[in-house]
Amino acid sequence: MSFRMSFDEEEEIAVRDPIEPFNRGMFWFNDKPYFYLFKPIARGLRILPEGSRESVDNFFSNLTTPIRFTNALLQLKFRAAGTEAGRFVINTILGIGGIFDYARRYFDLYKTNEDFRQTLGHYGVGPGPYLVLPLLGPSHPRDGLGLVPDAYIDPINWWLADSQFWPVVGIHAGVRVNKLALDKDTYEAITEEQFDPYIFVWDAYMQRRSKLVGK
Amino acid sequence: MRLRYLVPRIVLLLIPLTGQAEVAPTPTELVQETVDAVIALLKEKSLDPDIRRDKIRALIDDSFDFRLMSQRALSANWKQATPDQQERFVDLFSQLLEWAYIGRIEAYTDEKVRYVDEKHKKGRAQVDTLILSGSTEIPVNYRLHKMGGRWRVYDVVIEQVSLIRNYRSSYREIVKQQGIDGLLAQMDNKLKELKAKADAAAVQG
Repeated sequence: MSFRMSFDEEEEIAVRDPIEPFNRGMFWFNDKPYFYLFKPIARGLRILPEGSRESVDNFFSNLTTPIRFTNALLQLKFRAAGTEAGRFVINTILGIGGIFDYARRYFDLYKTNEDFRQTLGHYGVGPGPYLVLPLLGPSHPRDGLGLVPDAYIDPINWWLADSQFWPVVGIHAGVRVNKLALDKDTYEAITEEQFDPYIFVWDAYMQRRSKLVGK
Repeated sequence: MRLRYLVPRIVLLLIPLTGQAEVAPTPTELVQETVDAVIALLKEKSLDPDIRRDKIRALIDDSFDFRLMSQRALSANWKQATPDQQERFVDLFSQLLEWAYIGRIEAYTDEKVRYVDEKHKKGRAQVDTLILSGSTEIPVNYRLHKMGGRWRVYDVVIEQVSLIRNYRSSYREIVKQQGIDGLLAQMDNKLKELKAKADAAAVQG
């Protein structure tokens, strides 16, 4: 290469895509419910004022603080753990049960994104090959595994512990669709502008994941 | 050290200082001025869409180094390309990047941008910004290098994803299968497609 970089970003991505045909199939499949089911619902939600949808997002995000707090501790990231604890106290009390993110607005405390997948990576568990999961999208086997412990520390699941399977799925889907409604059609832009959205998403996932784990 | 050696050295040292007297913007200033100006243009609803695009393009051309971006996006294939192919690639790639960048900035016109940090490392700089959008914040980092005494952006990193590196993976695959001319043809088609769609939307809207 004619040009060498100094911002430690030039290392090649180690994990390639050995099961690409399967992943491409799943990627194609995932597009269908996305474009024909979840996205139309999300668009419908946009009728509601943005502020109210943000409050719903804030509320659930505040509720899932234990996931981020615990995983920060497990990775010995005490600063991140402190941030999460501080955010939880401020937003629960001043932000009325978490519907307002005053920790961000007045205290410059930004949400971290620690999860068990990063904890696994932190302790050297390799990611395994790239894997596109049905409905959940881009992942690694390690990441798929990481979702399980997080589900146990997710208070939404404690709260729903005695309910049936579908209400639980419904709440989680609702939280995701609400996020989708708040998003500015990022995925649509990618499919429109890129030659090969699959590779674009693959690469973005790999870059982001390695940065998050390495931090 | 003897004085007659020392004097020329001091003179040499002073030259860059006097050069800076014309006040080239710092990396943060450059990014902030560009982003603010682009957003201001996007907010001017009465402006003709074509004129707006041209104005935005002029702004971006001024602060982005498309040649270096192209080199990095093609990586090893850059050297394989003929000078003519290189020129065409720079032209098409800059237009595609403008579409992508303007499209994203457009979606976030009403959000606040916060300038969080400026880092320097071996003659390069990184300006960290945070787009505060509703209940989420999106980290957008600009990477700059100095060229002709001025800072210029050569990569934009959105949520830890480098735009240039992202393009590199896609383009590598296409060049592998269809060669550089195949890539250029595809880029040309894509631009026409995007323009047709924008025109259709403008007629409707």
